[in-house]
Formats: sequence, C-alpha cells, structure tokens
Amino acid sequence: MAHIESCEEKTATVTINGKQVTVPAGTTILDAAAELGIKIPTLCWLKKVSTTGACRVCVVEVEGVERPMTACNTPVKDGIKVTTSTPALEQIRRNTLELMLVNHPLDCPVCDAAGECDLQDNCYGLQVDKNKFGAELERLPIRYDWKLLESDPNRCILCEKCVKVCREIVGREAIEIVDRGDRTIIDTISREPLDCDFCGNCINACPTGTLISKPFKFRGRPWAFDVTPGVCAFCSSGCQIEYHAKNGRIDRVTSSDETYNHGNLCANGRFGYAAFNSPGRVTSPMMREGGSDQRKVTWDQALGSVATRLKEIGGSAVAGIGSPRVTNEENYLFQKLFRGALGSNNIDSEARLGYLPSQVLQWELLGYSGGTYDMNAIEKAGAIVVIGADLKGESAGFAYRVIQAVNKNDARLVLVNSRGTSLNKYANSFLQCRPGSEAWLVAGLNKAILAEGLEGKSAAVPGFDSLKSSLESLSFDKITALCGVSEAQLREAAGLVCNCGSTAVLYGFDVIRSADMKNAVTAAVNLALLTGATGVDGAGIYPLDEKNNTQGMLDMGICPEYLPGYHTYEHAAAKFGAAWNCTVPATPGKDLFQIIDAIESGQIRALYVMGSDPLHILPDRNRTLKALQKLELLVVQDIFLTDTARMAHIILPAATGAEKAGSFTSVDNRVQCFSAAVKPAGESRTDAEILMKLHALIAPVVAMTPMTFDELHHEITTLSGLYSESCDHDGCRMGRVKNRTEKAQFAPLAPVALPQLSRPFTLKIGSLLHHNGSMTTWSENNMLVAGEACLEISPEDAAALGVAAGDMLKVTSDSASITLKVRPSASQQRGDLFVPSHFRDPQINLLSGQKSFPLAVTLAKA
Amino acid sequence: MAQVIFSTWGGDVVDNRNVSGEPKAVSYRLPVAFDGERPLRAFMGWDGIILFDKYVDVPAMTAEYMKRVQTLYCCGRCTPGKKGTKVLMDLFRKVLDRKASEADLDTVGDLAELLKNCKCTLCQSATVPVFDAVKHYRSDFLAYINSACGPNAEPAKYIHKITAPCMDKCPAHIDIPKYVEEIRNYQYGEALSTIRENMPLPAVCGRVCPHPCETACRRKNVDEAINIMVLKRTASDYERLHNLRPPMVPKARKNKTVAIVGAGPAGLAAAYYLALEGYQCTIYEALPEGFGGGMIAVGIPAYRMPRTILQRDIDIIQSMGVEIIYDCRVGKDISLPELKQKYNAVFLAPGAHRSKPMGVEGEDKGYKGFLSGGIDFLREAYMGRPTGMGKKVCVVGGGNTAIDCVRVALREGAEESILLYRRSRKEMPADVWEVDGADEEGVKFEFQVLPTRIIVDDKEQVTGVECVRMAMGEPDASGRRRPEPVAGSEFVVECDTVIPAIGQDPDLGFIPPDMGIDITKWNTVVTKYLPLKDAAGKDLKDGMGNMLSRSLITDCDGVFAGGDAEIGPLTVVACVGNAHRAALVIQRWLEEGKAYLSEQDIFDDLLTYLGVYDKNEKVAWLDSGKRAGQKEVHGRERASKGNYREVELGFSDSTAQTEADRCLRCYRMAMVAV
Repeated sequence: MAHIESCEEKTATVTINGKQVTVPAGTTILDAAAELGIKIPTLCWLKKVSTTGACRVCVVEVEGVERPMTACNTPVKDGIKVTTSTPALEQIRRNTLELMLVNHPLDCPVCDAAGECDLQDNCYGLQVDKNKFGAELERLPIRYDWKLLESDPNRCILCEKCVKVCREIVGREAIEIVDRGDRTIIDTISREPLDCDFCGNCINACPTGTLISKPFKFRGRPWAFDVTPGVCAFCSSGCQIEYHAKNGRIDRVTSSDETYNHGNLCANGRFGYAAFNSPGRVTSPMMREGGSDQRKVTWDQALGSVATRLKEIGGSAVAGIGSPRVTNEENYLFQKLFRGALGSNNIDSEARLGYLPSQVLQWELLGYSGGTYDMNAIEKAGAIVVIGADLKGESAGFAYRVIQAVNKNDARLVLVNSRGTSLNKYANSFLQCRPGSEAWLVAGLNKAILAEGLEGKSAAVPGFDSLKSSLESLSFDKITALCGVSEAQLREAAGLVCNCGSTAVLYGFDVIRSADMKNAVTAAVNLALLTGATGVDGAGIYPLDEKNNTQGMLDMGICPEYLPGYHTYEHAAAKFGAAWNCTVPATPGKDLFQIIDAIESGQIRALYVMGSDPLHILPDRNRTLKALQKLELLVVQDIFLTDTARMAHIILPAATGAEKAGSFTSVDNRVQCFSAAVKPAGESRTDAEILMKLHALIAPVVAMTPMTFDELHHEITTLSGLYSESCDHDGCRMGRVKNRTEKAQFAPLAPVALPQLSRPFTLKIGSLLHHNGSMTTWSENNMLVAGEACLEISPEDAAALGVAAGDMLKVTSDSASITLKVRPSASQQRGDLFVPSHFRDPQINLLSGQKSFPLAVTLAKA
Repeated sequence: MAQVIFSTWGGDVVDNRNVSGEPKAVSYRLPVAFDGERPLRAFMGWDGIILFDKYVDVPAMTAEYMKRVQTLYCCGRCTPGKKGTKVLMDLFRKVLDRKASEADLDTVGDLAELLKNCKCTLCQSATVPVFDAVKHYRSDFLAYINSACGPNAEPAKYIHKITAPCMDKCPAHIDIPKYVEEIRNYQYGEALSTIRENMPLPAVCGRVCPHPCETACRRKNVDEAINIMVLKRTASDYERLHNLRPPMVPKARKNKTVAIVGAGPAGLAAAYYLALEGYQCTIYEALPEGFGGGMIAVGIPAYRMPRTILQRDIDIIQSMGVEIIYDCRVGKDISLPELKQKYNAVFLAPGAHRSKPMGVEGEDKGYKGFLSGGIDFLREAYMGRPTGMGKKVCVVGGGNTAIDCVRVALREGAEESILLYRRSRKEMPADVWEVDGADEEGVKFEFQVLPTRIIVDDKEQVTGVECVRMAMGEPDASGRRRPEPVAGSEFVVECDTVIPAIGQDPDLGFIPPDMGIDITKWNTVVTKYLPLKDAAGKDLKDGMGNMLSRSLITDCDGVFAGGDAEIGPLTVVACVGNAHRAALVIQRWLEEGKAYLSEQDIFDDLLTYLGVYDKNEKVAWLDSGKRAGQKEVHGRERASKGNYREVELGFSDSTAQTEADRCLRCYRMAMVAV
C-alpha cells in the first residue's frame, strides 16, 4: 500500500529501540523494525495481504503518542522514536493473548495445527500460563459439511488472513467475517457449505487449526512427515511446493510464503496429489501377448521385449510421443532414444495441437518462445490484456499475478473471451466475442489502436506499414459483424491498454487452439508490439499452456522439426550424432498428425507413447482408435491406465512428479530443479530410468547407464545451448539462457472467414479451475469438488429448452452424439456451450471428427 | 424533571444525588422527553452517563448497554474488542444474576484499560460509561451482589443508536466508517451498497458534496480529515468503470402509488427508497428529458458533475421501476389536486429555482446584459441555450452558485469573468476548493464591494456596474460587525453582462392556497414536527432554524414535502437525507395510515442536536498518514471555451485504500432509558 499520489517525502528516518533506519515513506513500523533485525511479535500480520491490525499483539510505544500503536499497520513518520518492548507492552501482549484464550478450546491433542500453530508459539513465547479473564462458554458448530476443508470457528482468533488471502490473492471472496461480537466467525456469506476454488490457500494462511484440510486430517502429526521441496507437476505456472511424505506416500502439499509463488497454490497444486495415491496407478509392467489380456510381467521381460521389437521394426517405422508431464531430462532422453538409438525423427507431442506451432510463430515474430519475462513482471503491469484464456483453469499462477496487478497496482484489465471467467469482475472491459472469432477481435483491437493513434513508438518496428495496410482492408463493420463486439468497445479497450506504464498480453487456449491460430497469435503478438508489452518497459507477452512442462519438452527437442535447443538438422544433426556416437537422421520426421496418417498407411508400425493419452487428446477419437489398433507395437509408459494404455501391447509403469528428480520449465521460461520426495510407487520406475535402460538395451554402444544428473545436465547444456552451466535461479542447476534475438516485427493480418454454422449451437472445450489435464481426474480430492463433465449453457437457452441443472441433453455434431448433464451458467452467451476437456467420459472428441473446436452442434433433451 | 441527578458526561462529574439545598445546575443538549412524550430518564454513551431520574437501575442499564454493544455492534475484528466486551457482558449478567463477586467489579477497570488497545472506538468508548457506572454507582452493583433485593429502581425501556461523528454530521447519515473500511478491504461493491443504503446518488455526492462529514472527522484531531467524499466517488466509479450491474432488487410491486414533484436530489432519493420497497413512483419533472437531476443538473456545471455520470445514477433509479414524466410542470401541465386524487401519496420536492433579487438600482428595468439570475444562467448554459451573456461578465454573490457562474462564463467564452462579493474571500459561503478552482481558471475577484447601480448606454445595454467599497463597521447590539459602505469609494466595473447570484427561493406557486398546506415566510413548506423542548422549555431547532424532528407530512393528509422547498435552500446531501426520511414516513403512512418518526429517526435528530464530534477531544494517534488529494486537471485550458470536461479525477484504487486506511473508525453507541 505504498502508492500515494501526493507524497512529498520519499523516505523517513526513524529510531527503533535506539537504532536508526531510513526507509521509504509509507513503510510500516513493523517493516522498518525488520530492516534493523528487530522482531515484533505478530499473529494477524501476513506479508502478502493488506494489513489488518486485529490481534493487537504488535503494539509498540511511539514517543509523544499517548497510546501504544500497532506496528503492523502504522506507517512511520520521519523522526519518530519507537520502543518495541517495555514491561507495559509485554503486559498488554500477555493480557491480549489471555483474552484470545478465553474459551479457546484446548483440544491441541487432536488439533491439526498442533506443532505448527502460531497461537501456541506466541503464548509460549510470551509465557502466557494463566488467565484472569473468563466468560460463559458457548461452542459454535464446526463445519463438517464443507468439501476438502473443515472449519472449527471455536479455534479461530479472527486474524482475517484467510479472508484476505481469499479476496486479495485468489479473488474468490468465498469466505467472510460474519456475525457479531464473540460469535463473529469466518464462514460463507450465505452460510451454505463452501463452494469455491478449493485452492486451500486459506488453510495455508490459518495460524491455528480453524481451517484445516480434510484429506490431511488424522493422516499424521506435522512433525512426523518428511518434507521435500518440489515443483508442482500440474499446470504451467511452476509453483514451488513442499511434499509432506510418510511411509512413501504423499499426504499433504503445502507451499511457503517465501517461495516464488508466495505460498499460493490452486486446487490442483494443493489437493491434486491424491492422484499420486490413486488406485488407478499402474505399478507393475504389463504385457499382452497375441490376443490376451494385459498381464503383469517383470521389468526385464517388458523392457527386453520393447527393446527387441522396437529394434526389429526400427528406423522410420517407429514413432514416439513425448510428454509435457515428465521432466526436461526425461524428454531429452526420450528424443535421444529415438534419434540416437532408433534412428527416427518421428517424435512429436500433444503440443502439436497448438502450443508448438504458436510458439514457432511467436519465435519468428519476436525471437523467442514462451513468456518474455518471468511471470512476476505481470504484477507490475499498468494494463493487462487476456485473450482467449480462462486463466484460473489454464494456469492459476498467472491468474494470481493478474489479480495482484489489478488489486495492488491499479492495472486496467481487458478480457477477450467468448465466455465469462472468474476474472470478469476485475475487467474494465470485457470484449465478449463469438467463439472462434478471436483472430478477428484481436485484429480489431490492433485496428482500434491505430485508429485512436495510440501506436506510439511501435510505428518504427519493421512491418508496421504492412500491418497497417492489412488492417485497412478489414472494416470495423465486418469485425463487429463477425465478433459481436462494437467499434466503440474496441476503441475504448484500445484506450485502456495503451499509455498506462506497461502492458502485459496473455493468450491462452482459445487463441493457441484456434482454427485460425496463425492470425490469432499474430494479432496477439502485434498487440504486444503496439502496446509496448515486449519492449524494455513492457510487462511482457505470455502464451499459456495447461501442462507443467510443455515449454521444457519443446526445448528438449520433442518435435520432428528441431533438435534440442531448436537446432535444425542441417545445422546440428552431425554435432548431435558425434556427441551421441551415432548417426542422427538429417531430415525432419513426421509430426503427430502425419504419424497417425503413417500408421494408417502402414509406414509406421510401432508407437511409443510416454505420459500422454492420444486417444483422449486427439480430435476424431474413432480414427485414432482404429489407427492404434493397427499398430504392431504400442508401448505406453504412464502412471495411469489411460484409455491409450488399455490398448498397449506393453505398459511401462512410470513415476509421478513427486517420485523423481529433474527439472520442469514453466511457460514463462523458469527452469526449476527438484529432487524426489518419495520412491516410485510399487514396481514403477522413473521415466529416466526406463529410458536409459532401454537405450542401453537397444544401442549398447552409447552406454547410457550409469549416467548421473550432472553428466546429463552437462550434455544437455552443451548440446542445446539453451542453458547456462551455472544457474541464475535458486535451487536449480540449469538456468535457461535468454535465447532471444533482438528482432521484433509486425506481421500483416488476414483473418480467415469463419465457417458457416450448420447447427444452432457452438460448442467449446477448455479447462476448469478444479482440474488439470486428465491427471487430476485420478485424484479423489479434485473429483469430490468437480466430479463430471457438465454442459455449460446460458440460463436463457436452458430455459428455452426447458432444462434445469442436472437434466441431460443430447449433443449432436456432424460426427456423433453424446449425452451430457446440464449446468446453466451466466458465463455463456446465448447459443454458446462449453464442456471441460479433462474427463475421460464422455468422449468429447467423438464429436469433433476432423474438425476443431468450436464445433456446431444441435441439442435435444435426452 | 429535567434536573440532572448525576452525570459524568465529557469527564465532568456532576453529582446531585445527595445534595442538600440547590443542586448543581447543568444542562445538556438533550430534550426533556425522548419523543416529546416519554421523559428521558438517562443517557449513556461514549462520553459518560447522564441520569435525569434517580430511579434508574444503573447496573441493569449498564448490563444492557454492554450486551447490546457486544451482541449487536462489536465487529469482532480485534481481540480486545471481541473478547473484552464478551467478558464484560457476561460479568454484568452475573451481577444481575447475583452470581458475581465484588472482585469481579475490579476486572472492569482492568478491561477498560486493556480495551484502550482496541482497533477502533466502539468497544473502547463503550467502556467509558460502564466504568463510570461501576465507579460511581458501586453501591447499586453491590446491592445486586450482596443482597436479594437489588437497588431501589423502576424498570426502564432502553433505546440505542449506533453512530460516529462523521455519520452523525452527514445529513444523510451514511455509514461512513463501514464503507471506508470496505474500500480499504477491496470490497468496492459492498462499499457502494453501504453508501446506497442512505445515498442513492453516490456518483453525485462523491463529486459535489460539500462533505460536512469531513468537518466532523476525528482524524482531524490527529492531522487532517479523511477524504470521505472522494472515497465515495471511488466506490461509485468502481462499479461504472468495471461495467458492473447495480445489485439492488426492488421488493415485489405493491399496488400503492406515489407521485413526486421534481426529479431533483430529493425527488430521486424518495423515489429510490420507495421503489426499493415496491411502491410505484412517478416523478413529474418540469424540464425536458436529458435534464433530470434538478439542481444537480442545471445548478451544477458539467465540469464538476459530468452529465453522463449523473444520468447513470438517474438511469439506475429508473431501472428500479421509477417513472419520470419530463416536460411536465405541476401547476401548469397537471394540477397538484389532480396528483393527490390520482395517487395514494404525493411528495413535493420542487427545489428552489427562483433567483432572489439583488436590490440594486436598475435591476428591474430589463436592461440588455442584465441576466435574471445565476441559477437561470447556469440552467440555460447547461441546456445549451443562449444565455444572453456577452464578453465581459460580472457575477454578484459569494456562494457556490456565484462561483459556478464565473467558471461557466469562461467556458461559455467570456473574455473576462469577474466576481463581486461584499465581504472578504474568507467569508465566502462558497466551498474553498471551488473558489480556488475559479482562481486557477483566471476568474477576477473584487472583494468587499457592493454593487449600487447598473450602468447602461443609450441602447439600454449594460456597460458597467457601479460599486462601492465595503469595510467592517462597528459591532452591533449582537456584537456582530457588518460590512458598511465606505463613503466616497465609488468606482465602476466595466462589463457587458451582470449576473446576480445571491441566492434562490422555492417557487411554490403551484400549491393552491385551499389545500391546507402551510408555507413559511421563507417560502418553504411547513411540515409536522415533534414537540421537543429543552429544560428551559424552548423548542429544539436544527441549523436552518426549522423544528428539529420533522415527519415531513404537510397539514394536508397524504401530501409530504422535502428537499430545498421544505428545508430551505441547502445541499444535495441534506435533500437526500430529508427525502430518505420522507420515503420512510410515506411508507408508514401508506401501510399503517400514520405518518410518524421511528425511534431511530428521532434518535438521529437527538444525536445531531447533541453533537457527536468533539473538536477538543485529544486523540492519541501517530500522525503519519497524510491525507490524499484527488488528481485534478490543472491550467487555464481546462476552462477554455466549450470545455466542460471533468476537472477533478478521483483516486486510483490503491490511493483510495491508503486513504481509507487512515480512518479511525469512530463508532460509538448511545443508549437512553425512557
């Protein structure tokens, strides 16, 4: 809260306990004291949220002021003399704690917070061992009826941390302070059971055992767990976490406020770990001989068989699908196995569906892929444009940054989306376009900036004139007709995003997976250039992806066209071959779609799928199914028995993000290393171990085992040129080199005509904030709060169709029909539908055929 | 009665309990009877206790006071307040239940001390009368503790009211500490809802309110007042700038109808609150569509109150089902008796739009360049019609309207804009920031001058004003010094336009004399009031000289009056507060057939009369948070011809939070025994 418009003095010099310190004006006494290393006890103070001043434990004396002031929320004044501890102050602190303990339940033996309770620590520290105050005992009901969380208001000291975190950081405002006097508690405003993001950041903030995690309750005392720092293995935000493990099992995930993400997680980060303990895990190698069922085999049998058969089929008849879930090192080993040992460049991944081509395009225009800066830069933005993304669903860490910018930095927010999202309440402008028209709309924003004359210095960027002339041929009328957003709205939004200090541009699923991805991404990049987002004073451009290591996977060369570090074959095949002591084929391999084509045509006979579920992910499920059935060899290396895994000839059980060491690269290009918190479940092995073993079996000339991580990192760093040897991030050995060229250029826009809709409704897919990919559908915690795919429909359309929440609707496309449960939602415009893509059932990709979403469909009561 | 038995009010102990002979004479600004009927037996509040009746059960009253503070108002947001008042409440309950010990009484003092560390003043100030009671009526407490019979007392009914100095001073009684705290907590929507409970024109009063609340801000006793008005604007701007839909949902339509005369602040406010309750309201407005808002529109220039933003507040009220019939002047296009016959109730809020004459030679001659009045000039300019203004404009007056006129004259293209005022700059009734604003825009001032004659040429075109300089005369009988002309100081101010802006009156010509509606000599509508009297038997009156507690029903049944036409020309916020009350009374009248004031209404008036803010109170606090001022467009260009763009720009949200964080949240509870 340091932003003061009419602030004369910039600093203040104060004396605390006789020591002088000079601090910026607006600094609190508490922070000034901390500068001097003086600790003042606090209970309700939480650095990351606004101050509260509720507990009154931090009282200090200020010379000349007759009453004690609370250090946490009193700004300093130049020249003041502060004393932080006197007998009188200590007495106030003790008495205040005595009051706090009036009727506080002494159920510490069964309280989840015992051992990590700030109230305990403070009472102990201030030696509060008696209480002269008393009052009639009245017990308030405990909320056992909430999902994932439990609230015991009797233990609450009303510090407000949970409420503030929920409001200021998560932006949910699910809990509030309700009622009066001694009955004041934290509850939902409606008093109905909690219905929220279930991010559990309130649990993390609670200093007592008031808000606790139900899945963790009675799993063990805090001190009984081995705590290992880790990197969250769900979305692309790369949050730093702590795994709490006992007896080889993860029972809790927390995050410290000292981390990069300030302790803030989402439902997946905090509760998704239940997937790791899921009974759906495959924990032993399985094999199917002939027409038999999949049967347990030994690792030697499984690996031996994979090695032999891959080698037999060999070369360009084998293909591999890498994983955005596994580590950089494992993806590197995967492509090395294919390129080096099997001699095939037929490697690709699900990033082919959007992220990879979008980043190739971004690289061509800006000279880098992924986010320009690390995502903290967003917090300092003066304006933010989010295009085609449900931030919380796709990558919650970005949503939290945007909320910070809005709340603490007065950032203006412009949302471009066909459906409302949880950030809508912060939006100064919500440009609600028709599904699929994102390219047109962002082109319209480009045009509006030029029409308003707001392009500023960007007019000097190469390609400006070609952009300008391309926009001249797009009329506002046409843009409005196609997107449903008026010229006035576009011009207003243009005014909001320009000239505001620094702008950030974020683009997500609806842009990256757009049928007209090329123009949608180009328009987003142009917008970033026009607003100065990519300049030195800008707050950056950020593509989003739902999965934790998509960026790292691509860096590691999991694509047919580039070697690790985006080296081309003609430039670097020989170098890699020499390093690997083999011959790397010098022509690009087949991409994901070509692989399916080639399986159909019989050119590819063996497919090795690591940590991916093509059957679930690819459009046209029936086609994929037939193709996979045609394979002579389908190897699936995964942690779950996915739909694809069920078809596999050989299943190799792999390890979760908690069961291995390695590094992930978030979409904003932070490379973070971590070590294993637990051993792989059952007989499963880490992907690295499996791949190295296989490599050794297939091509014994380049011995892969035993290879240490240091050796591996050295090899990756040397060959890819992506990383510096010494890391610039704490706790990580591979700092990513700024692989940027200085170039930046505009590209002309020519959005393609939108297809004529053959059916009355438009169906979109995307992510929910309670899930990540399909992985969390294996987590009982996540399933408890979002257990099935519902069809979101505008309340008006639901009423017109005569359906209410929970009714079933049959959704029919040109290709197929599926039946879905209805969920009316004001986020949807009339005529638009939304289905989350996480769930294995219903098989939404049956509907798509060869087409991409959004898809024209018809609805009928089922 | 009325004699004070005992008092600790303001820290001065008056003890007439056991005096022989003449009791100590002391009086407080309180009526002898709460509502004109029930005697006021005791008063208990932040500054102590006052007893007018020796048979008041002080321990029972104390217990009740603490119970109400703890269970109804204690926000629970700080440890000493939440737990301390609970301990105190239970302690006094124990006393009454005869379960307490004498030692328990000593805890009261300990807690009073500890509660000085509360976050705000509610619980802290509640310990003041409680501590006084235990200290001075210890024997009564001991009577409960030690004997079966308790003190010799008669049961009382208790009535309480939560207030704060700012909230009390605000004529609309907006819960200011609450909305300020909500802004501080990033709850802009909640803040706006809080404001709307008492102020349906938040965008307006966030911009043009003279904010009397800030004169009663306790933070002034530390450094400077909280910028309460701009925080209100912040909440209202937030909704608009985020395209949020106002959350109000009117109750189901009732079949009773109300006609309202005038779409000004009073008319709109009454319509808002009646519509919320489900009544069908129809406003008759004399001006055409697009010019609703009464004096807020045609009396406040757009650079202070942008039309689109005012219109948004009006649109919101219309969206709640209020019908506004424009271009319809009551008394001309439709008669008042007709309205009375057509509707279940009529609310008169015509405002005060008739300029007062200046009393200068030549003003009635119809000279070219002598305009009829400031308010007419502002209206014509606002409506984009010819104003009759020339190039060199003289405005006579010292109020906000006069300032608006000189500033509008510049924007209408005047080459010179001069203000003539008979007293000094310091004495101008206009708000200081408005005068400063005019100064910055290049307005010229002539202070302490009195226009005496309008000078015209042979075509009867104004060419100047003859003035005489004024100086302060000798004190008169009342001790006040009045400005008097200085002999021989005559001079001429050359100009082609003179605009008198010395005040306006309601135009009540539309009220037929036979309706039984009384009109005062100041041309305001008479409404019914409570017979509140002080100990000396004198009527209690408000700052405008009106009876203190008025129910706003006229002597004609079913006809109510409010706003400037009832109060006398005052402020938007006064009109809104007055009209809100009218809406409540109208509702009671429609539902129960009785037009009366609730105990809470009366208590509001009593506290305003008593005064909640104490400018002499010593507030111990570190003066380390400077008051934030809003952003503003500077330079003369802001007043260039045709430039009516808003001059003041409000706060950024983060500045608003920092500013809101300065609030000391000065809640306190008053309670009376009757």
